[in-house]
Amino acid sequence: MIPKSFPATAAPDTTAVEHAPSADAQALHAEFEAVWGNPKGWRALSVVNHSTIAVRFLLTGGVFFLLAGLLGMLLRAQLAQPGQTFMGAEAYNQAFTMHGTMMMFLFAVPILQGLAAYLLPKMLGARDLVFPRLSAFGYWCYVFGGIIFTSSLLFGLAPDAGWFMYTPLSSNAYSPGINSDFWLLGVTFVEISTMAAGIEIAVSILRTRAAGMALHQMPIFAWAMLVTSMMIITGFPPLILGSILLELERAAGWAFFDPTRGGDAVLWQHLFWLFGHPEVYIIFLPAAGVVSTIIPVFARRPLVGYRWVVISLVSIGFISFGLWVHHMFAVGIPVMALAFFSLASMLVAIPTGVQVFAWIATLWTGRPVWSVPMLWVGGFLFIFVAGGLTGVMLAFVPFDWQVHDTHFVVAHFHYVLIGGMLFPLVAGVYYWLPHFSGRMPFERLSKVGFWLSFIGFNGTFLVMHWTGLMGMPRRVYTYEPGMGWDLPNLISSIFSFVMAFGVATVILDVALHFRLGRRAPLNPWGADTLEWSTGTPPRSYNFASQPPLSTRHPLWDHPELPHTIAEGQHALPTARHGRRETLGTDPVTGRPREVIHLPGNSWWPLAAGLLLAVLCIFLLLKAYAGAIIVALAAVAVLLRWSWENGAHPKAAAGEAHDLPDGLKLHSRTFDGPGLWGMGLTLLADAALFTSLLFGWLYLWTVAPHWQPPEQSPLGVWPLAAIAGVLAVGLLYMQRAVNGLRSARNEGLALQLLVAAACGALGCAGLIMLLVLAPLQPSRLAHDAVLTFTLYYLLLHAALATVLTVLQAWRVQRGYVGLHAPYEPAVVALWWRFTAGAQAVAWLVMALMPLAFRAGV
Amino acid sequence: MSTFRHPPGHPIQLITGLTLWFVWFCLVYGGAAVACAVAPPPPQAGPWNGVNGTLLLVSAAFALGFSVAAWRMAHAARGMTGNDPGIVRRRFFASAAATAYAVATVSTVVVALPLVLLGPCI
Repeated sequence: MIPKSFPATAAPDTTAVEHAPSADAQALHAEFEAVWGNPKGWRALSVVNHSTIAVRFLLTGGVFFLLAGLLGMLLRAQLAQPGQTFMGAEAYNQAFTMHGTMMMFLFAVPILQGLAAYLLPKMLGARDLVFPRLSAFGYWCYVFGGIIFTSSLLFGLAPDAGWFMYTPLSSNAYSPGINSDFWLLGVTFVEISTMAAGIEIAVSILRTRAAGMALHQMPIFAWAMLVTSMMIITGFPPLILGSILLELERAAGWAFFDPTRGGDAVLWQHLFWLFGHPEVYIIFLPAAGVVSTIIPVFARRPLVGYRWVVISLVSIGFISFGLWVHHMFAVGIPVMALAFFSLASMLVAIPTGVQVFAWIATLWTGRPVWSVPMLWVGGFLFIFVAGGLTGVMLAFVPFDWQVHDTHFVVAHFHYVLIGGMLFPLVAGVYYWLPHFSGRMPFERLSKVGFWLSFIGFNGTFLVMHWTGLMGMPRRVYTYEPGMGWDLPNLISSIFSFVMAFGVATVILDVALHFRLGRRAPLNPWGADTLEWSTGTPPRSYNFASQPPLSTRHPLWDHPELPHTIAEGQHALPTARHGRRETLGTDPVTGRPREVIHLPGNSWWPLAAGLLLAVLCIFLLLKAYAGAIIVALAAVAVLLRWSWENGAHPKAAAGEAHDLPDGLKLHSRTFDGPGLWGMGLTLLADAALFTSLLFGWLYLWTVAPHWQPPEQSPLGVWPLAAIAGVLAVGLLYMQRAVNGLRSARNEGLALQLLVAAACGALGCAGLIMLLVLAPLQPSRLAHDAVLTFTLYYLLLHAALATVLTVLQAWRVQRGYVGLHAPYEPAVVALWWRFTAGAQAVAWLVMALMPLAFRAGV
Repeated sequence: MSTFRHPPGHPIQLITGLTLWFVWFCLVYGGAAVACAVAPPPPQAGPWNGVNGTLLLVSAAFALGFSVAAWRMAHAARGMTGNDPGIVRRRFFASAAATAYAVATVSTVVVALPLVLLGPCI
């Protein structure tokens, strides 16, 4: 939609600050602040508000960026001259492994998720994300996991096998210490946070938009984050699976990647890059969303080709999953597969190019105002396009073979990642800085910061292309003089310090502006998106009332919104009931469907995060008895946390007589955010299970010493019998849900208990198989995969049983019933997956091998 | 599949084609791997053999399906006239889905090209 009026300039719109808040608005603010405000002192650790948690993500991510950046400076100092003794090979290996891992897992993804968690509710017109306690839990997992992982540097035991941890280098034979365990356990711990944020952001985008904001009217940043979150949900599980398998191989001696026992080292590479290539786009797409948000504001016109940009984001989301083997061109892949992945790698450049042309067209047809954020956007365009071009060069297999594992590749991915992520991120930081602080950045100092960074970056990495073309391999701690690498390395090292000064200047600028910056008006850049109506800095509840929106440019079309919102002229304009609540809307049309009540501050997320941190440490120390006790305690805490949910008095304080006509609290309906959260959790679970089946089939067809026994140690029918028992349990679970849907709750608790009994019976069957079947996971990869699958199925059946017993208990306590029918439907989804996975496991692990044995 | 029951203009159409494209990609990549493990044609047979032929037929079927879906979406989008918010929304998704199906078609044809140039198991 074309806005009715554009701002005349991108200069500050001061109309908002000219109006002092009315008495009504002030009273309303006090009322909301009493419910949503953050406690002070040590109680601040229990805060779950999305703005606070997101700022913590951003600051923590910034700290990890600086630490990883320092490691990068050490690497460049070491390579400045040939034959340096400043670092030995061991220290260098640890430094480059930690640099890459921290940048990817502790900086790039968490900080972008933090930015999204901060912005999205405000852009979409919501008061918070849908699972605030999950946000807090995710943060604690991130920070504890990050600290445990980073502490390995202090002990001199940091991972040293490279950020992609190829086996067998990362296996016990070549990495006997606990260095690799720090990577596998630490990164997996942090991934809990990434997955939680991915699920929460996707559900929030789909279910808590402003009334009337249809899917095609979302801000483009929301589209970028929706695609990114779905990529995280489906892309991270292969790595999580790979990490668990490799840790099991290292800690318990199971065989997955060891070719002498029927495994295959290349399976790790597949699992890693199944995650690893989408990861590049997981980092780029949010940044592209930032750019698509900023450019129209400074071009003073809507984004050209909104629909094309949406299609481009969605296309990248899919095609990027078909590229992973291009990281493995030099491994020894069949020529046909090389050709498939080479062509797919070239294809993905097209939707990326569409976005670049949309940005150029927006600037071309607009009236651009060049300000600090745009300087960084310009730097992004230059660097990212150059990185994309070398990416297309690398998609050509013969060229890739020539420069594989050289500094050319290092230069390429720094162009893509720093150009495609860091520059847009800093553009975003400058753009939204007034939102965080209420103050404007310094024009002059910020320009100095940009030019130092831009010149330093290109001086470092443009030259590094030539170093690589001259044959210098990556990951070598030193080199002989006279190879022609001396001068380019020296230039790269000098300019890397110039870039470091640039980053330091940006940090100084941002730090100083909090005290000395000019006060910012409400919408300082004349932006169109709703986040600028929340106040700068924003209020804890974002919106005192939630406006209906049917435009992509709310503040251009309705500049009065900040006032009407603050004065309570829109939906849900009261907090007297004491509930934290936000509108739940239809995922497609944006029509209001229910009122979502949100949980308040809680210690449970911190307690659960702490217990998982202790579990991680126990696993690192191989103190398995302690680990089991702590794991059980963590499960108990998580279940206790889940108890305060739905119709529990602590979850929905106050009577709900004051809701808008036709709307109920979500826990009194059949379709709340938890159902969507469970659906997306199971999508991630399905991705992990599919990766496991891929591993099984891969080893059957490719592993050189795969040794399937004459007869499966599990037999043919036991898995089918267990699947049958679980199917009966699912049937009873579904009957309970159907009964509630038909307003019948007779025998509800009994049906749930019968379902739970079936679950328990299924667990007993799986335990018997684990005990009685002659499985030898330490000797045969075949048996290791089967054993792991049995544990996977057991975990699901056990959780289904426990959750269903808890549901029956909640029926007795009056938290579930006709008045609150929602929760059994959520648990039923888990049952469907559990029974389905059991049936698929039977098909693929019991029946299919019969065909293989008969045919092969 | 149930997604085919959704009318043009439903947002699910935006991802159906590309989801099926990824299914096709796995089928062709996995199919070639399994065929080469079980019954590899001789390298001197070149690209014209049973394995490539089967995979080409599968690829042609997918590409044809995607192009028909793209045409159907584009045709439906042209018929959605007016400024009613519901129609505007459906038109947006129908035309976006037409492009997404076209992307799936092109992606299938381009990535399948090696099947007419190379033997599967070399």
